[in-house]
Amino acid sequence: MNTDAGSVKLAIDHLSAYYGTVRGVEDVSLRIPPQQVTAIIGPSGCGKSTLIRCLNRLHETLPGARVEGQVLLDGENLYDLDPTLVRRRVGMVFQKPNPFATMSIYGNVSAPLRFNSRMPREEMDRIVVQSLKRAALWDEVRDRTDAPATSLSGGQQQRLCIARSLAADPEVLLMDEPCSALDPIATAKIEELIAQLKKDYTVVIVTHNMQQAARVADSTAFMYLGKLVEFGPTEQLFERPRERLTEAYITGRFG
Amino acid sequence: MTGDPLAPTGTPRGYDLEVQHLKQRAARMGGFALQMVHDGWRAFDQGDRQLAQSVLDRNEMLDHLDDEMEHATIAFLVLRQPAAVDLRTAAALLKMTTHMDRVGRLGYDMCRISTSGKGPRESPQLRALLQRMDEVVESMVRQSLDGLEQGRIDLARDLFRQDDEVDRMHREAQRMVIAELGKNPAAAARLANIVLVSRHLERVADNACKIAEKTIYALTGQRRAEYLPRRPPRFLNEDPV
Repeated sequence: MNTDAGSVKLAIDHLSAYYGTVRGVEDVSLRIPPQQVTAIIGPSGCGKSTLIRCLNRLHETLPGARVEGQVLLDGENLYDLDPTLVRRRVGMVFQKPNPFATMSIYGNVSAPLRFNSRMPREEMDRIVVQSLKRAALWDEVRDRTDAPATSLSGGQQQRLCIARSLAADPEVLLMDEPCSALDPIATAKIEELIAQLKKDYTVVIVTHNMQQAARVADSTAFMYLGKLVEFGPTEQLFERPRERLTEAYITGRFG
Repeated sequence: MTGDPLAPTGTPRGYDLEVQHLKQRAARMGGFALQMVHDGWRAFDQGDRQLAQSVLDRNEMLDHLDDEMEHATIAFLVLRQPAAVDLRTAAALLKMTTHMDRVGRLGYDMCRISTSGKGPRESPQLRALLQRMDEVVESMVRQSLDGLEQGRIDLARDLFRQDDEVDRMHREAQRMVIAELGKNPAAAARLANIVLVSRHLERVADNACKIAEKTIYALTGQRRAEYLPRRPPRFLNEDPV
């Protein structure tokens, strides 16, 4: 499962995450390779969302929540860095599209730029266009970037949120069930987009949909009751899992 | 979620029944193909043209069974989107039925030889050898189908040893034919038919092994190279070192 240090973007090392006294993630160690898609699957409540929320220090924002262990981003422990800086380097897209409802399409994508720096308008325009192109949305909104973000369809809103994350120039993109609220056509577009994004970013996706993991991910991790059960190349995990628990889950014999 | 997720539920799911049903259908197709070999050998041995014709007529049914299995397996793949052992089983069935089809075709080919009316009865020793070969080969196909249906790796693994025995008998048949040809050149056509039938029986055994390989893959995920040392290819008339 392990790879050499040079091919690891995120090294999760003996990570445990707590909600008060309840441990949601238990001693997970995982090496996430750069510029690949890594999927995390498992039944509801297995800790997969909690795990990725530890990868951009979002978990600790909940009252009573805490983390043990470490997460190394290019060898630097995230928990020794400024959380705001961490969230710029590690972007996140959530289950439901969450554009800023009062803002335009342009306003949404430029938001991270305006919050974080005093940037010349031309530079901002360039980054907004580039981010919308990278999120495969530019062709659909180029004539109406001043329209309200809420005028977009669900699938477009989700790609807008991806564009907004990309505008902050992250290295890693976390996706927490990004297609669960979308129809199959919008889902296919996001999946196509994920395949494009991995050329420039490291993508970690949590999904309930095993077929989606099989379609988009290079590596897949299976979690159960807060623990990492198995991690390996996606093809191997779905064709020939090593663990009986993984086999039982992916063949629908529990979960 | 509570309890042991690996504990048996006691009730077979519709899904499991579907997998079992597919295996049973495949085994029935294999049984049909095996009967073609059995009758093919008998037709050749006894010069029974009527029996030979009945085997030739069964070829269409064999194709039909092959198509049906392919449709049923693809429907299972599409509708159930299986993973792990179920995925491997479906993939293995698609390949296995091709080997079953080949088994039936070899029975068919033996009948095409037998319609020429040149049987083995004038060479009693050769006939006894081919008779023995047919018995071993038929038992191998039956065992490969039992291995599939009952999910038994031990039955499947045992076939590779028997295949070596069939290969040995085929080489022996070739040697005997060459010796007899030297003594009786006029029997060349009849002896050539014997070599052909011996070769067909040897190929049936190979297909039984292929079915067994696919059963082992379905059950364990292991491919042949992972559990059997690869042997260098050799000429048909060459004894193993």
